[in-house]
Amino acid sequence: MLKLDSVHTYYGHIHALKGVSLTVNEGEIVTLIGSNGAGKTTTLNTISGVLSARAGAVYLQDTTRKAGEQHGNGRDGDIRLDQLPAHEVARLGVSQSPEGRKIFARLSVQENLAMGAFARTDADGVRLDLERVFELFPRLKERLSQPGGTLSGGEQQMLAIGRALMSRPRILLLDEPSMGLAPILVQQIFQIIREINAQGITILLVEQNAQAALQVADRGYVLETGNIVLSGAAGDLLANPQVAEAYLGI
Amino acid sequence: MTSSPATVQAAGTEGRTSLRQFTRVLGAVILLFVIWRVTTVGLSEGYPASFWISQALNGLVLGGVYALVALGYTLVYGILFMINFAHGEVMMIGGITGYFALQFAQARGWMEGPWAVVVVALLLIMFIGMAASVLIGVTLERLAYRPLRQAPRLVPLISAIGASLFLQYSVLLIFGVSPHSYRKPALISGGLRLGDVFIPYTGAIIFVTSILLMLALYFIIQRTKLGRAMRAVAEDRSTASLMGVDVNAVIVVTFMLGSALAGAAGVMLGFHNTVVKFNSGFLPGLKAFTAAVLGGIGNIPGAMFGALLLGLIEAIGPSALGIPTEYKDVIAFSLLVLILIFRPTGLFGEVLSEKKA
Ligand SMILES: Nc1ncnc2c1ncn2[C@@H]1O[C@H](COP(=O)(O)OP(=O)(O)OP(=O)(O)O)[C@@H](O)[C@H]1O
Ligand SMILES: [Mg+2]
Repeated sequence: MLKLDSVHTYYGHIHALKGVSLTVNEGEIVTLIGSNGAGKTTTLNTISGVLSARAGAVYLQDTTRKAGEQHGNGRDGDIRLDQLPAHEVARLGVSQSPEGRKIFARLSVQENLAMGAFARTDADGVRLDLERVFELFPRLKERLSQPGGTLSGGEQQMLAIGRALMSRPRILLLDEPSMGLAPILVQQIFQIIREINAQGITILLVEQNAQAALQVADRGYVLETGNIVLSGAAGDLLANPQVAEAYLGI
Repeated sequence: MTSSPATVQAAGTEGRTSLRQFTRVLGAVILLFVIWRVTTVGLSEGYPASFWISQALNGLVLGGVYALVALGYTLVYGILFMINFAHGEVMMIGGITGYFALQFAQARGWMEGPWAVVVVALLLIMFIGMAASVLIGVTLERLAYRPLRQAPRLVPLISAIGASLFLQYSVLLIFGVSPHSYRKPALISGGLRLGDVFIPYTGAIIFVTSILLMLALYFIIQRTKLGRAMRAVAEDRSTASLMGVDVNAVIVVTFMLGSALAGAAGVMLGFHNTVVKFNSGFLPGLKAFTAAVLGGIGNIPGAMFGALLLGLIEAIGPSALGIPTEYKDVIAFSLLVLILIFRPTGLFGEVLSEKKA
């Protein structure tokens, strides 16, 4: 459903992604692991259109177009995300819960969730999804009118994921959802990632906590200084001695 | 080693402390001066209470107009972190356009018609002025500011000053130096007499209209989806875009709202001062900027409050301090300097310092 083809992204002269290729199939949880500064956040932001790729392409499978219809500039039946601004990527069903949560601190919890549903016009569907978010995170329901900035770190993480879900995404990009959380909450977050996936949402998960990420994922990619150096089924990566040494701290 | 890092740091701290002491002394001197003038001059003149009330009411009218303009500064600053120094000219264009709309209406005799016709015509004149200002504001954003969005912050500021001069002298070139005078229709020429206090109708109308427009703006920002998006963009542009918000569109709408309020202010100021010309946006623009800074730039209720306060200070100040009224501008700009020295974040200014400052 999502495919990166040899993507190069720069920050000025800094060459952060040096030809990243990866694929996420419909219904999968795919994890992208790698040490600090490897380029994981850069990858997600390139997909989202916050950063633009200087070379390569990002394809999203287009479900709205019928076969045989005139297509744009992508491959047949695909949309080129790398040529779209961030807000249009979001409107195509690619939702990101960004690194560091990025809650709107002065907007209330309710308003933050409403921002997640910004591009939607189906009020009934939005109400339904709000209920779904409250089922996943009952904590948020108790704090609806509180400014987002006054939530605890863990609550903010819940809000960030909930906000990303409010767009009813086709694919959810999660950037370090377990960062800074107590171990019990980390477990809970990974449990919730499973639940979200079970509801039919495809997930691309970026994590420092490679062990937990590989346990929840179907497949994984290992990123090192802007290059994909390893990929495979999550179980195989968990068993790989190279991965174990570098990322699992074994 | 004569100067270890520790001593350097100590010297720095010392410098800061003596600066703080200096501003404290300066503040005390100014306060004493104000108290001295007010007690020896202002109160000893023996003005009647009705005089002070009239002055205060004038101040509120002027403050209402300043507030409309100040909101434009604060809205744009809240989202782009730049001062739109051409905003006074955006207001002036509204005033000039309103003048021609008024001419048009007068030529057709609408201003002498039944009161309903006059009211509708006045509303139309204001809308036309607002529309002209919106057009100019949006053009400014597109041509003078958007191309410089990634540039250092001083650059769009210089562009704004250039745009301000460009607009002033374009109007001068097209319409000449002589002021265009607004002729009030008879319907709103009189006033209301309450005891010794006289309230001109235009003043009352301007004040009420300003308040209504401010309430409308506040409603848009706090209660609508668009306003929520504006607040989100003000906080974090790239995260807002992740939510599907077209940031450029929100910025354009922000300029539209600010410019519409300025256009309304321009037309109302035309009726209030009876004249408009190429530079009649300059002083009110600076005053409104002062008001926005007074309330804490970027803070919407702050701009409203700061403007009303500034209007009051300007109206009461000259008599209270025993200064000729021609010098009332000195009071406003002294105030600007004083705020920048003593409380650069304004009266409600904690918002500014959060992360982007
Ligand atoms: N705004 C920026 N300007 C310049 N360089 C940047 C910027 N953001 C990231 N980089 C550089 O790009 C590289 C990749 O950064 P990125 O944030 O993608 O890493 P990451 O894998 O997400 O790391 P972490 O696990 O620490 O979040 C790093 O070397 C970083 O220094
Ligand atoms: Mg990162």
